[in-house]
Amino acid sequence: MTVKLQVKDLCKSFGTLEVMRDINFHVDEHEFVAIVGPSGCGKTTLLRTIAGIEKADRGVVMIDGRALAGPGPDRGFVFQQDSLFPWRTIWQNVVFGLEVNGELNAQTRMRAKEFLKLVGLSGFEKYYPTQISGGMRQRVNLARALAINPEVLIMDEPFSALDAQTREVMQLELLRIWQQGRKTVLFITHQIDEAVFLADRIVVLGRRPGYVKEVIQVELPRPRVLALKRTAEFGAYVERVWNLIEKDVHASIQEDAQAPV
Amino acid sequence: MAENVVVTRLKKSSAAWKGALFWTSAASIVGGLLLWELVGRFVVKKVLFLTTPTQIVVEIVRLARNGELQQHILVSAAEFSIGVVFAIFLGIGVGFAMASNKFAKRALGPWVAAFYATPTIAISPLIILWAGIDIWSKVIVVVINSIFPMIINTEAGLRSTDRQLIDAARCFGCSRLQIFWKVSLPSAVPFVFAGIKLAIGRGLVAVVVAELFGSRAGLGFLLAQASDAFNMPLLFVAVTILAVTGMTLTWLVGMLERLLMPWRTAVDQES
Ligand SMILES: Nc1ncnc2c1ncn2[C@@H]1O[C@H](COP(=O)(O)OP(=O)(O)O)[C@@H](O)[C@H]1O
Ligand SMILES: [Mg+2]
Repeated sequence: MTVKLQVKDLCKSFGTLEVMRDINFHVDEHEFVAIVGPSGCGKTTLLRTIAGIEKADRGVVMIDGRALAGPGPDRGFVFQQDSLFPWRTIWQNVVFGLEVNGELNAQTRMRAKEFLKLVGLSGFEKYYPTQISGGMRQRVNLARALAINPEVLIMDEPFSALDAQTREVMQLELLRIWQQGRKTVLFITHQIDEAVFLADRIVVLGRRPGYVKEVIQVELPRPRVLALKRTAEFGAYVERVWNLIEKDVHASIQEDAQAPV
Repeated sequence: MAENVVVTRLKKSSAAWKGALFWTSAASIVGGLLLWELVGRFVVKKVLFLTTPTQIVVEIVRLARNGELQQHILVSAAEFSIGVVFAIFLGIGVGFAMASNKFAKRALGPWVAAFYATPTIAISPLIILWAGIDIWSKVIVVVINSIFPMIINTEAGLRSTDRQLIDAARCFGCSRLQIFWKVSLPSAVPFVFAGIKLAIGRGLVAVVVAELFGSRAGLGFLLAQASDAFNMPLLFVAVTILAVTGMTLTWLVGMLERLLMPWRTAVDQES
């Protein structure tokens, strides 16, 4: 198996606050890797660094062995907050990446249409983001990221704003879409069960500063179905990750309670 | 879930719903005018104290026949539209400069803040003294009164662009220029429109007040004449025309808003 995305010795501080220390991990081609960590452990900072919109103090991010210098269409992103452009229709949002990279042509339009269909939103092209539900908006975000045909799809807690039922549906949808295109996926979440359900491997992060605690191989059969969540094996994985980060989660909750608002 | 969203929209934007809303406004206007007419005819009776709608209409027709009315309207309209259009474009330009350049912001910021808070209408006599009694003095008064909300709104709109959206655009490889055109500018459009509405309101007041202070024609001139002669129907003619103009302009801006910001209308339909 070939390594697609490699993160090497990444360090980052904001002033005196050390957010990442020597982060090392990789994602193989076609692999689905989840990053789990308590809130505030630097997950979003890691994603922004991989995106190239935040500069690391040290370390490199590589795709196919090439060190990355800035943002590029080789990475597609889906964000935690709904980041669709409200003044663009669903269709205009989906082709945004193609448009700004000067790649909008008949062929890429076809591809974008297919992705819109893949996420189940054909027929909603002319709607505005305010006219559709939160779950649908995240599907559009996904289609927008896929439309540029990236080497790696990177998602930052994409379902955390959705209600529990919608989230489960979206997890299944994401797996279905991933199964069809077999993209390389890096999925960031603070929800352990979500990570176990989706991923081939889980990178567990600790906090203050963020560092890689352990990498866990998830040997659960695919295609995965919701019933899997109620099996003992699934529970064992969740338990194992939880034990790794429990202390950090408590610390993070305490800190949040003390933080001046 | 998807279907639900669509169905509620259809109901609220259905013809029956819109019809009901329209007739509510129409009934309110007609009822109000009727009440006014009845009170004027049977309760107050004296034209000096209360002119009725029909008397106003008669006066409008008389003035329109001899061409006087059109002339006054034309003068005021010219002063107003030249001033407001100038204020809108210059205001957007200055607001843009202040949002994109720190030195421009520092140099202009205090002046803009001071003038925005001052009732600049008070210095209209001075401007008429400087620029004369012709239309250009009124144009200047309109510009001075209308430009500051334009500057402030444009700047605020460009500055308040959602960081999340800018970051998303950067992740997609947008250049600074692309971020300005494709993210900052569209997200400032609602602010600019709010500024235009303020500019129009202030400009309308400015033109009339400036004409009251010194002019040879215009609706403000008509108002001054009417009040000197205690000609209440004439006074109401001027007021009515101004009211209708204000409403028409608000409606026009609303149309333009729907045309340029369809995503906003999509939200409005729900409320
Ligand atoms: N631009 C920044 N300046 C200063 N501190 C920051 C900045 N971005 C993030 N942080 C801090 O870094 C820490 C990690 O944040 P983040 O990466 O958002 O964590 P997570 O996504 O895991 O919740 C937090 O304590 C946050 O306050
Ligand atoms: Mg985060």
